[in-house]
Amino acid sequence: MTRRDIVTISMIAVGVVLMVVSYFFWAAPWCANAVECSNPRLEWSPAIFVMGVILAFSSAVYYEVAKDKEE
Amino acid sequence: MATPETKKPLPMGVGSIGAGWLAFMGIAVVGIIFGLVGVLVEQQQGMVSTGMRNLGTMQGATWGVYISLVVYFVGVSFAGITVAALIRLFNLDYLKGVARMAEVMTVVALVLGAAAIIVDLGQPLRGIVNLFRYARPQSPFFGTFALVISGYLYASLVYLYVTSRPDAAVLTEYRSKLRGFFRFWAAGYVDTPDQRERDRRTTFWLALAILPLLVVAHSSLGFVFGLQVGRPGWFGTLQAPAFVVLAGVSGIGHLLVMAAIIRKVLNAEERVGKRAFAWLGRFMMVLLFVYLYFIVVEILTTMYQPSIAEQELSEALLTGRYAWLFWGSSAALVIPLIGLGWMAVTRTWRVSWLVVAGIVVNVGALGKRLLIVVPSQTDGQLLPYGTGTYFPTWVELSVAVGLFSLGAALVAIFMKVFPIIELEESPEREEVSV
Repeated sequence: MTRRDIVTISMIAVGVVLMVVSYFFWAAPWCANAVECSNPRLEWSPAIFVMGVILAFSSAVYYEVAKDKEE
Repeated sequence: MATPETKKPLPMGVGSIGAGWLAFMGIAVVGIIFGLVGVLVEQQQGMVSTGMRNLGTMQGATWGVYISLVVYFVGVSFAGITVAALIRLFNLDYLKGVARMAEVMTVVALVLGAAAIIVDLGQPLRGIVNLFRYARPQSPFFGTFALVISGYLYASLVYLYVTSRPDAAVLTEYRSKLRGFFRFWAAGYVDTPDQRERDRRTTFWLALAILPLLVVAHSSLGFVFGLQVGRPGWFGTLQAPAFVVLAGVSGIGHLLVMAAIIRKVLNAEERVGKRAFAWLGRFMMVLLFVYLYFIVVEILTTMYQPSIAEQELSEALLTGRYAWLFWGSSAALVIPLIGLGWMAVTRTWRVSWLVVAGIVVNVGALGKRLLIVVPSQTDGQLLPYGTGTYFPTWVELSVAVGLFSLGAALVAIFMKVFPIIELEESPEREEVSV
């Protein structure tokens, strides 16, 4: 496995983790109570979700552009 | 392929600015200025300068032309990236001439969709900041802004960048003012078998990731309407799939028109052949058929045993004050379907007819978007309010003109800085790909 592969997979993994955690644990909880379920548990969690999406797709750019050591 | 330091002009009209292009841009700039005037008036006078009013108490509609345009533009983006992804996934060589224009169309349409949302907000800055700060993932709005505007737009940009790097590398070998820009774009691209294999792998996985993302994104836009129990006509399971299918219809119609204009302007009849048009025509015909089936099913279900509110809405749509728009839009979808069916049966795919079909279905799609957004707010009230009205003001219409002009200008500018049709592969590159 080259460094390119490792960094690409790491970027995808971190991106997906950010999406999952921000969506299910940091954003407003999934429940019916209007007051408790309105505010996010962590402010800016939607922005973190978006960052996760961007990081995951940026892995494609890294995979394409990065140079392996032997190159 | 260009030889090092070639003095030939850049291919596909890149970098050459003629009188026709300047005239086109002049018209587009006038349209953009008209739209900006509308935006400034709206910012100065507030939303009261639009035709939108509160539901119920003010007997109006809070969503109007702007939201219809959001749905329309996001719909157009759907077909662009779908077609581009299918071309790469299944290696449809005869469609490669339209792949990049489809990608560009997607990016431009998403930018316009985002702009239409921003204009719809009375306090745009506050709206944008609060979405990133407080948005609830349970809300379809979260899916719309997080997946469509952020994720989908970014993914499409990445896709466009990755698929266009080889051409950027070729263009660095031309002596031109844009050489530095092409070098930046190519980012050290060297055409080797390893790199080609990497390109293939990247575009394949990107296409695989984007296709489900866009179905989720468009469905979530449909859910914005389809999950609202309190609005007759909106609440229903067909909203999400109907959004996806009509998105495909309007987007492919757009792509047909765009491909015909570009191949004419660039004299690229060989690169964008009739086979590509026939494929797009067939695809649009199938989607149109599915969408019209959805409409019939929805009307029959609504009319079978409707509640009072649903009945009022149906009457307004079918025989009342929205009937002209409903039947007009339906005709704008049915007539092209008949034409496409005829072309499919006789196997005579004429580009000119396909372009007409593409324009007409887009008129129909715009009408359908307005019908989805507006009548459910003005008619069939569940609370004891009277029937509402909505009519767009010049401010909203000027913004609409501005957005379409901006889209046309962005595509025209792209055409002058980068080939909107993929450059042909050199024989040695084709050997590598085999």
